[in-house]
Parts: sequence; C-alpha cells; structure tokens
Amino acid sequence: MSAPAVTRRLLPTSASRRLPRWLDGLLEAIGLPLVLLALWALSALVAPNRRFPAPWTIAEAFVKTWVGDAFFVDVAPSVSRLLIGLALAAVIGIALGLLVGSVRWLRQLVEPVFEFFRAVPPPMLVPLLALTLGIGDTAKIVVIIAGTVWPVLLNTVEGVRSVDEVQRETATSYQLSTLQRVRFIILPSAAPQIMAGIRQSLSIGIILMVISEMTNASSGLGYRITFFQQNFQIPEMWSGIILLGIIGIALAVLFQLAERFVLGWYRGLKETERA
Amino acid sequence: MPDQTSSPTALLRVEGLRKSYGDFVTLQNISFTAKQGELICIVGPSGAGKTTLLKCIAGLLAPSGGIIELDGEPVTAPPKKMAVVFQEYGRSLMPWMTVRRNVELPLLRTTPKAERRQLVDKVLDAVGLSAAADKYPWQLSGGMQQRVAIARAVAYSPEVLIMDEPFAAVDAQTRADLEDLVRYIWTKFGVTVIFVTHDIDESVYLGQRVIVLSMPPTVVQEDLTIDLPAERDQLTTRALPRFTELRTHVYAQIQRAKRDNERRPDHEAPAA
Repeated sequence: MSAPAVTRRLLPTSASRRLPRWLDGLLEAIGLPLVLLALWALSALVAPNRRFPAPWTIAEAFVKTWVGDAFFVDVAPSVSRLLIGLALAAVIGIALGLLVGSVRWLRQLVEPVFEFFRAVPPPMLVPLLALTLGIGDTAKIVVIIAGTVWPVLLNTVEGVRSVDEVQRETATSYQLSTLQRVRFIILPSAAPQIMAGIRQSLSIGIILMVISEMTNASSGLGYRITFFQQNFQIPEMWSGIILLGIIGIALAVLFQLAERFVLGWYRGLKETERA
Repeated sequence: MPDQTSSPTALLRVEGLRKSYGDFVTLQNISFTAKQGELICIVGPSGAGKTTLLKCIAGLLAPSGGIIELDGEPVTAPPKKMAVVFQEYGRSLMPWMTVRRNVELPLLRTTPKAERRQLVDKVLDAVGLSAAADKYPWQLSGGMQQRVAIARAVAYSPEVLIMDEPFAAVDAQTRADLEDLVRYIWTKFGVTVIFVTHDIDESVYLGQRVIVLSMPPTVVQEDLTIDLPAERDQLTTRALPRFTELRTHVYAQIQRAKRDNERRPDHEAPAA
C-alpha cells in the first residue's frame, strides 16, 4: 500500500495547506452547499422560473415569514411537539426495551406483535387519532411517538440481550441490586444501540411532525407550508421547506453532542480495538 | 449456628460435589476443605471441569449434588464474602467506567463515599495502579486490566478470593509479576485464595497446597502440600531442587490423569 503515500506526497495541497483545523473542517462541511447555492443562483439568473425562485427571493420570504410572530405561532409549537414526542418515545422505548430484553418469555411473546405494529405506517393513524384524541397537541404528539418509538424499542431490546455474559456474572457475584445492574451494567452496555435507535427516530420524527399538521390543524409548520402551497405562495413555501431542513440539521448536531457525551467511552474503545 | 471458634479450621468445605450436564458427568466427586487464610491452587488437565468447579463454589452454578459450605453456611447463591476474578479481564471490567469506578462498583451499596474513596486508593496502590485511577480499562495493557480486576476483588474485602485462570491470557513476563502480586495481596490482606490454573509451575510456585483434578468424571486425584519456604521468589524458589521435585510430581499426576482417561472403556474426547 505505498501508492497512496506517494500520491499524497506529490499532491501540493497537503504541503501547502496551512489552514487552522476548525476552518478546514468548516470548509469541508459547507463547501458543497456553497457550490450548490451558487449553481442555483446562477440558474435563477440565466433561466428564471416561478416555481423555483432565486435564493435571495426565498431568503427574503424566509425572514418575512418566519422571523417574528410566526416563530411563536407556527415554529415553536411544532418543534416543541416534536421534542416532547421524541423524548417520550425515548423514555417509553428504553423502559419497555429493558423489560422485554430482560425477560425471555415476554420477548418471545411480543416480538411478532412489535414487528406488526412497526410495519403499520404511522401517518395512517392521523385520522384515527383525530377521531379518538381530537385535533389538539395530544393527537399530534401521539402520532410522533407511534412512529419513533419502534427504532428505540427494538434497538434497546437487542442491546439488553447482548450484554456480555461475563459482565452479568460479575454483577451477580458482586451482588449488585437490580437497580444497580440496570444503571451501571445494562443501560451503559446497551447505550450504543439505544443511541443508534434514537438517531433513526429523529428523521422519522420530523416527517411525522409535518404530516400530523397537514390536516386537522390551524397552526404549525406542516399546516403553514401546506397553506402556502395551496395559495401559490411559492417563495414562502420554499422557505418553509428550508426551515425544516435547518431544524433537521440542528437536531442532528444536538444529538451528536449528546452522543459524544454519552458514548465517549465507546468511541475510545473502538479506536483502541482498531489500532 | 456454626461454632465461630471452628471457622479457622475450615472456612470453605466442599464435599461430594457433583455436577452433570444431562448424561455427561463433569464433576464426579470433589471433596476438599480450605482453612482460613490458605492459598490453594487447583490444577488439572484442560477439560477437567476447573471452571465448572469454580463457578459452583462461587454460587454462579447450581451443583447436581454434594455440599459446599462457606463459614458453615451452604452456598446456594453468590455469597457476600466471596469475590471472583475471571479469566476474561477484558469482559469483566466495564469499559464505560474508569478504573476507579470499576473498583468501587461493588462497594456502592455497602460503603459510604469517603470510606470508599480511601479503600479504593488503598487497593489501587497495592496493585500499583494509583496513577491509572482515572483511565479507562481499554487504555491499559492486559496485565494492568487484570490488576484492576484484582483490585476490585480485594476492595470488596472477601473472605475467599476465587481466581479462574486469571493469567492465562497475558504474556510470561507480566504473568510472573502478577503471580507475585497474588502472593503479596494474599499476605497483605490475609484473604483465603482459591487459584485455578492449568499451569503446573504456577500452581506449585503460588500454592501452599495444590489440588490435582482428574479428567471427567472428575475427582480429586491428589491433595498435595507444597512444603516450599513461605517467602517465594521467581528466581530462587523456582531454582530449588524441591520445586523441581514438586512440579515433576504434579506433572506426573496430570499425565496419569490423562492416561487413565484414555484407558477407560467409555473413553471419548473431553468437552472443552
């Protein structure tokens, strides 16, 4: 494997690049988006299209639409429903997963049922929940939970099942209490899988947040974007879509920070194993 | 109630212990006693059921018959006053906890914080790991990880310390150091040690007594007193003529165990 080393030495970039690390990372992260933005702007100048407005038109609409009152009327309620839904899904998924993962007969009993429920697309629950729970926050939060709980639950079950036998025996021989076992052995050991489950839930959660607001709603991001679309307010509609993307990224970044905190040991362990 | 004055004579009593898995009898009849403060090595050919015996003693595995008593109380679950050091140090330490947290884990319920801290400092010092207290196990070498496991067991202040081939996975150099550490811990903390190994030299070097196991169905083939000087040293002890005699004797016993097994009419390859 000497070829890559040679190539690297011949490339001028690695020798001449004297940028600080953070700037390097920043450029790597936003380089492609900047290029895409430039292409978009260029195409808007060369061939204007009403359905695909120029970036500056959308930027203008963005500020006008979302900065100010609309933030509290539409954005904040949507995002808080999303966060509440995700948090509850995580709590329910982890608690239930701990139970099901620890009790063998229970697992055999409920696993097929889980598979069935997981296969049901949660958007189909929107009309049903509107009938039973009304059109308030509760129904919308329940839709988010119904979709996001499964990845957390199933991953937790797997994580709990795969706790190392020697670690279990160690806990037994040192007479740890059930609570100590859960807190110090089972949960941390399953944490990598639980976090992977939550990560999957984030994107499902955003989708369901929007869908739950497309009908039976008079505020919220999903409602507002649908409203703009039906009234041909194209730049406003696009600004809403972009806002959704921004929320998605913000959520992913926050999650990554949390993960770094919770799974610091795991990354270290993996790096040591690879070395 | 057991007579307290009799406890120094037999802290741990194993009598007629039997363990079978279906038709396969692993342990046929194991009997021995350990006095308070003894260091006993259990050695046997691979497949003799050493780990099975140890897990029965530790209360992690239910025997099929016979008696195991600690301080006159039958062992049916892991006893409070017993600590186990497993062979797989990498799997028995929690990778999400620092060395200090790992060592204090068994003490969380029993010992107040200030006292716990002192105790952990003391045992980490005893195993020579004071500097690594805030590291994670995976940042340490295999030998150091096993030291952490030993420190954790010692901090638990057991009456009986059970070690299951603890040094099978470390290199020879480290192994010699760890053997001396076991002798040091044993002297310093006055704990009774049951040390399981397949290494004949190790058993003779470490033990006051060596119990030789046969092949399955396993019985105690010999219970041998090691009459080497109490002060042991990797160089001088291993160079003693008596050391050589003893190791040759144990070696012959183990060879005999294997040979007897092959002569048996129902001989079959032992399960690992």
